[in-house]
Amino acid sequence: MARTALQGIIALDFGTGVAVPDGIRLLAELGAKVIKIESSKNLDFVRTIAAEKNSSAGFNETNRNKLSIGLDLQTAKGKDLLKKLIKIADVFAENQRGGVAKHLGFDYESVRKIKPDIIYLSSQGFGGGGPHSDYPAYGPMLSAGSGMLSIWKHPDDPYPVGSNSPLPDHMASKQCAIAIMAALDYKRRTGKGQYIDMAQTEVAASLIGESFLDYTINKRVPQPKGNRCSYAAPHGAYPCTGMDNWVAISVFTDEEWHSFIKVIGHTEWAEDPRFSDLLSRIKNVDELDKQVVEWTSPRDAWEVMEMLQRAGVPAGVVQRAPDTMKDPQILHDKALVELEHPIVGKRLYPNVALKLSATPAVPSKPAPLLGQHTDEICRELLHMSDSDIKNLKKEGVLESPDIQQK
Amino acid sequence: MTHHQEGALTGYRILDLTDSKGAYCTRLLADLGADVIKIESPQGDPGRSIPPFLNDDPDPEKSFFFIYRNASKRGITLNIETEEGRNLLKKLIEKSDVLVENYGPDYMDGLGLGYESLKKINPNIVMASFTEFGTDGPYKNYKGSNIVDFALSGVMITSGYPGKAPTLLPGMPAYDAASMIADVEIIAALYTRTAIGSGQKIDVSVHEVARTGLYPWSVPIYSHSLTPGGPLPWPESRLGDSIYPVYPTKDGYIRVIALTPQQWQALVRTLGSPEVLLLPEWENFIYRIGNSQDLFAIMLDFTTQFTQREIWEKGFQEGIPIAPIYDIPTFINSPDASARKFFIKVKHPVIGEGLYPGPPYKWTETQPQIRFCAPLLGQHNEEIYCKELGLSKDDLVILRSAGVI
Repeated sequence: MARTALQGIIALDFGTGVAVPDGIRLLAELGAKVIKIESSKNLDFVRTIAAEKNSSAGFNETNRNKLSIGLDLQTAKGKDLLKKLIKIADVFAENQRGGVAKHLGFDYESVRKIKPDIIYLSSQGFGGGGPHSDYPAYGPMLSAGSGMLSIWKHPDDPYPVGSNSPLPDHMASKQCAIAIMAALDYKRRTGKGQYIDMAQTEVAASLIGESFLDYTINKRVPQPKGNRCSYAAPHGAYPCTGMDNWVAISVFTDEEWHSFIKVIGHTEWAEDPRFSDLLSRIKNVDELDKQVVEWTSPRDAWEVMEMLQRAGVPAGVVQRAPDTMKDPQILHDKALVELEHPIVGKRLYPNVALKLSATPAVPSKPAPLLGQHTDEICRELLHMSDSDIKNLKKEGVLESPDIQQK
Repeated sequence: MTHHQEGALTGYRILDLTDSKGAYCTRLLADLGADVIKIESPQGDPGRSIPPFLNDDPDPEKSFFFIYRNASKRGITLNIETEEGRNLLKKLIEKSDVLVENYGPDYMDGLGLGYESLKKINPNIVMASFTEFGTDGPYKNYKGSNIVDFALSGVMITSGYPGKAPTLLPGMPAYDAASMIADVEIIAALYTRTAIGSGQKIDVSVHEVARTGLYPWSVPIYSHSLTPGGPLPWPESRLGDSIYPVYPTKDGYIRVIALTPQQWQALVRTLGSPEVLLLPEWENFIYRIGNSQDLFAIMLDFTTQFTQREIWEKGFQEGIPIAPIYDIPTFINSPDASARKFFIKVKHPVIGEGLYPGPPYKWTETQPQIRFCAPLLGQHNEEIYCKELGLSKDDLVILRSAGVI
C-alpha cells in the first residue's frame, strides 16, 4: 500500500458534534491514527440524537475511519490513561463546552506539561477570551452570532430562519483541519507544537468578508439579496413538477442568455427591450422571473438541468438525498460509498473526497461503536496486560461495546 | 543568519492562477505565512468586477470582494496563452512549491502546463486543480455557478421558509468548501513531500466537495431511515424556522436550540415559567415543530420582555442554548469579537482603511494574519520579474507592449 500523508501521526479527538470531529476525520482520511476519547457518561451529543448511541446517522458519518476508546475521565485512573495517550500523541483537539476540558485537567497548560510539543486545538462557538467563551453553540447558532444569518433570506421574508442543516458547522470543521495541518507542518520543520483557539462564529464571518467591508468602508448595512445577483439574470431557484422541487438557473453572459432563450423557445426576447441586455433584464427581473417560472413549472427539474446544461447554461437540481443518490456525476466519481456498520448495517455515506496522486487517502471505514477499540488501544499503544484491561473494565474506567455486533 | 518565522507556512511559495472561485484557497494559505503570488491576465482577474465597490464606483481596484479574498498576496500580470508567458511561468515554477488553478478540465494540459509537464520542471511542485464537476465523467463540461453549486450541495433545499423558494447562503459556500478542502490537501502534500521525495497532483471537484462536504449528513440520514420494504422517509424540506425557532426581543431576534426536554424546561424557566408554556404537550419536540406558528404567537409576549443579550445570558444560566441574531454592525461591535480583536484594520492605497474579518483563530506560536492588502493589478511585476527572475526594466516594457504581462 502507498504511503499516506499522515502516516505515524496520532490525533486524539476529544470533540463533540461537528466542528472538531468532522475536521479530525479528514486527518484520519490522510492516514493519521485518530482516537476518539468518549464514554457513556460523556457522549458526543450527536450519539444522543438517535434511538441508540451507535445508530446515529450524523455520528456514523462524522466519525468514519476513527478508533474509539471508552474511557471515564471522571476517574483518576481514566485520567492517567488519557495522560499516557497524550504522551504518544501529536494532536489533541477538543470542542467540549467551554471550561469542561480545564475542569477535567486537560486544558492546554496541563496537556503541554505531559507533551510539550503537542498541537492543541480548542474550538468554541464564540471563541476563548470573550464574555461568552463558555457558552455552548450548535451550528445554527454560528450563523446567527456572526452576522451571516442576518443576510441569509429573501428580501421579503419577515426575519431570517437559515437552514435546518448544521451549516456552517461543516465549514468550521474544515478550518480546524487546515489549522492542524499547518501546525503539523510547522512542527515538522521546527519541532514546536502550539495552542490554537478557534471561534466558530469567526469562521462564519470570514466567509462573508466583503459584507463587513461594505459596512466599515461604505458605512452601509448590507441587505439580504436572497437568490438575486446584481450582475446576472435570471438568477434563482425556480419551481418544477412534483412537490417542492426546484431547479437553480444562472445566466451571466450574453452567450448564456442567447442559449437560454433558444432552449426555452423565446428567441424573440433577443429583441425585446425588457430583456435584450443585462441592464434591462436586471430592471425587469420580476417580470423575467415570472416568465421563467412559467417555463420551468410544468417541467421536471432534472430535465431542465439537462436541457440548459447541454446548451451551456449553468443549471442544477436543488438536490435532496435521493437526487444525490442518482446524480450521474456523483455516481461516476464514486462520491458515495456503502459501508457496513456492525449495528446499523449497510448504509450510504459520502466517500473520501481527498484526491492526492502520490499519497492516496485511506478508504472509508465505518464509524466505531462506543469503545470498540478499547482493548486494541490499551494493548498496542499503552502496552497494558489483558488482566489490567479486564480489571479496569470491571471498575468502569474502561468501556467496550455492550451490544452484540452483527 | 536568523530567520524570523512569521507563520506556520512561511518559506513556501505558491503560484495562484485562480479567479474568484479559488481565491479563498490561496488567501488562507497566505494568511498562514506562505508567499502567494497572484497571477492575473493583463486585463485583470474577473473577480475585480464583483460588487460591492467603494462608493459604488465599479473600478477594478475598488471591489471589496476582490480585496478581501486576495489580501496577503502579491500580484503580477502574465498572459499564459503566449509562448513568452509560459516560459516566464515555468521560471516561476522552478522557484515555487505549489501551483493552484481553476481553469477547468484539460485547459492547462492544452497549454503544455499539465502536471506531467510541471513535474519535469520541478519535481517538488504540488499542483492543485479545481474543476466544477470533475476531470472526467458525464458532467465534465457542465457549467457551475455560485447558486447552481449551492443548489446541488443539498443545503439549499433546507434553507429558508417552507412554501417559498429555497434560499441562497450569502458568500460563495460551494467554492469556499472546495477551497478549504484543497488547503487541507495542499498542506498535506507539503508535509509529506520530503518523506516521499516529490510533489503531487491534487484534484478538487466543487460539485463533489460541496455535495459531500457542506451537508454530509443528508445522504446518511436518508439512508439510515430507510427500512427495506417500509415507507419512504418524509422528503427533506425547509424546517429551520420550526426546528431552531427564531423569536423577537426588544432589540433584535434570537435563535433558540431546544432539542431535549431539559433544554425546553430551561427555556420556560428563562421566560419566568408562564402558565401557557407549562402545558405538557409543549415539552414534546415534534409537537413544537408541528405547531411552531402557534408557539411563535405565544412566545413573543415573553421574549420581547428581554433584550437579546439579557435572554441569551439568562438562558445560559438556566441551560438553554440561545444565540443573538447579529446584523453586520452588531457583530463587529459585539463583546466577543471585540475581546478577541477579530477585526483588523487594513489600509489599501485606493480604497483606504477598512476593518477586515481576521483569521478565525488565535495561535501561540505562529499567529496567522492579514499580512498586507490585496495587490493592485501588476503591482509586483517589477519586484518579481526584475528582482527575482533577473529581467531588466526594458524587458518589462517589451513584454508589456507584446501583451505578455
